[in-house]
Amino acid sequence: MSCFGKRTWDPKGKHCYVTGGSTGLGLALSTLLVQQGADVSIVARNEKNLKAAIEKLETVRQSKDQKFAYYSYSLTSARESQEALQAVIAGHNGETPDGVFLCAGGSKPKFFVEMSGEELVQGMDMGYWVQAWTAWAASKEMARTRKKGKICFVSSTLGYMSLIGYASYSPAKHALRGLADTLRFELQLYNIDVQIFFPCTMYTPGYEEENKTKPKITLKLEESDSGLTAEQAAHAMLAGIKDHHSHITGDWITTVFRASTKGASPGRFFLKDWALNIFGCIALPIWRMTVDREINGHVAEHETYLEERGLRA
Amino acid sequence: MSCFGRRPWDPRGKHCYVTGGSSGLGLALSLLLVEQGADVSIVAFDEEGLIAARERLESVRQTRDQRFAEYNYDLTSAEAVQDALRAVMNDHDGRVPDATFLCAGGATPKFFVEMTKEDLTRGLEMSYWIQAWTAWAVSQEMIRTRKKGKICFVSSTLGYMSVVGYASYAPGKHALRGLADTLRSEFKLYGIDVQIFFPCTMYTPGYERENLTKPEITLKLEESDPGLTAMQAAHGMLNGIKSHKSHITGDWITEIFRASTQGSSPGHFFLKDWGLNVLGTLVLPLWRMYVDMTVTGHAHEHDAYLTERKLRD
Repeated sequence: MSCFGKRTWDPKGKHCYVTGGSTGLGLALSTLLVQQGADVSIVARNEKNLKAAIEKLETVRQSKDQKFAYYSYSLTSARESQEALQAVIAGHNGETPDGVFLCAGGSKPKFFVEMSGEELVQGMDMGYWVQAWTAWAASKEMARTRKKGKICFVSSTLGYMSLIGYASYSPAKHALRGLADTLRFELQLYNIDVQIFFPCTMYTPGYEEENKTKPKITLKLEESDSGLTAEQAAHAMLAGIKDHHSHITGDWITTVFRASTKGASPGRFFLKDWALNIFGCIALPIWRMTVDREINGHVAEHETYLEERGLRA
Repeated sequence: MSCFGRRPWDPRGKHCYVTGGSSGLGLALSLLLVEQGADVSIVAFDEEGLIAARERLESVRQTRDQRFAEYNYDLTSAEAVQDALRAVMNDHDGRVPDATFLCAGGATPKFFVEMTKEDLTRGLEMSYWIQAWTAWAVSQEMIRTRKKGKICFVSSTLGYMSVVGYASYAPGKHALRGLADTLRSEFKLYGIDVQIFFPCTMYTPGYERENLTKPEITLKLEESDPGLTAMQAAHGMLNGIKSHKSHITGDWITEIFRASTQGSSPGHFFLKDWGLNVLGTLVLPLWRMYVDMTVTGHAHEHDAYLTERKLRD
């Protein structure tokens, strides 16, 4: 998708459907959209959080005509994702949303050897399906009603690379990239823009949850990550959405990964991407070697860990 | 993973477990492994194909000590995968295989807006879970018994990029890359090598099946792909396995994609990768623009297609 010559996307007056809109990135994005004049419908599972979120959106209402709505659905299911979309449409004069922002998701990092089958399935549900089902329902509806809209996925730095502990999450985030890159091409048939945001660590309730199961070695390797607040991430995401960037990042480390894994995905300013790519060619192998060394140094401690848990014969 | 200073991997005397071993790439790889002195256990969900495959393996037997066995299991099911592994181990003195080659999988390309919930779910099963489950079961056993061995996934060029029609397949193939890159790093804790092969179009029974549903525009965009026979692909795969390459390709187009999306994944010879990367930054945007033009040129015909199928108002 070329960004050249396209007017900046303006949220004012648009109906925006934000999944995972009751907390974290989704709530921060919804708040920005409301501040910029959009109508916002949010969907998540927890009704209490949804109500609290709507109260927060009310505090930044710009005009009395703005419409806010919330709906409680579990978006890891195809059926509920379709029902959620129909509820959102019904609650907005039967109109398909102009923009669909897929902020729902979460992770549960662990050693692969300790993961149960259910945890692997859940990882894909909470990392991939929770967004893919809504994208599927929304694409069909937009295609059917000829709505020229936007769909924006939310992957992660872990959609460009991976690290020990993320075997149930990184595949899902890579899968979102695969889906977004396919649909960027395909949904041009319907004038639907497809974008995808790759946030780094975000200090949100989801992050607190994640750290409960995260292996110590993963925490150690992530020590130097600067991370963003949900608001900072939402600002970057919305800026990228407005400028029609195909792949959007909000921090320089992920930007290096973006440029280094670009392949056939649309990039940014050619020289900037080239420079980042060259930098990545030198820096990323060095980073990888330090990670490998750290992991090799952890073998003895991990041996004890496995024996304590009866995972060794 | 450094390839430097390591002896090439030798199949002779090793017990190799090949999923999808009854046809296509899996069968071709199994034949090569047998010719090079390995014991081979093949698994697929294809009773007739397995029997025929067994006869072919017998026809290239090198010594009378070599052991071959075939097992009929549905590898998209976690329980069946565990049963399959147990059966394979029981017939091999209770020992876990030395090397596991995950060749099982298949695609059913279609327009996204025509896909049913089952198409999407099945798509991820046939591209991701069909390999991830076996990797999960085998690695737990390898870790339990301290077996230092190999696991090799099979992704696709569509694990590095995507195109119209593959919304149920490319995500799964990207997900395999995410999993392989995570495990390459994590399994340094156990001395288990993790590798991943990215074949281009292979002229196999799977390819024939794929073309039954493939949209015409996808066929058109793939016209110029040279493609490989299963045996050519298997040679590429086995060479990469023997030289311990993390990411393995068998054709120059996928090589360009590999170098252009390398990020923090291990590469090959630095200067070669750099050269391919530079070529990629020039050529791939041009290819993408060609695809964009073809897709937007198809919009009118596609509108009629959708209206006929009542997918548009």
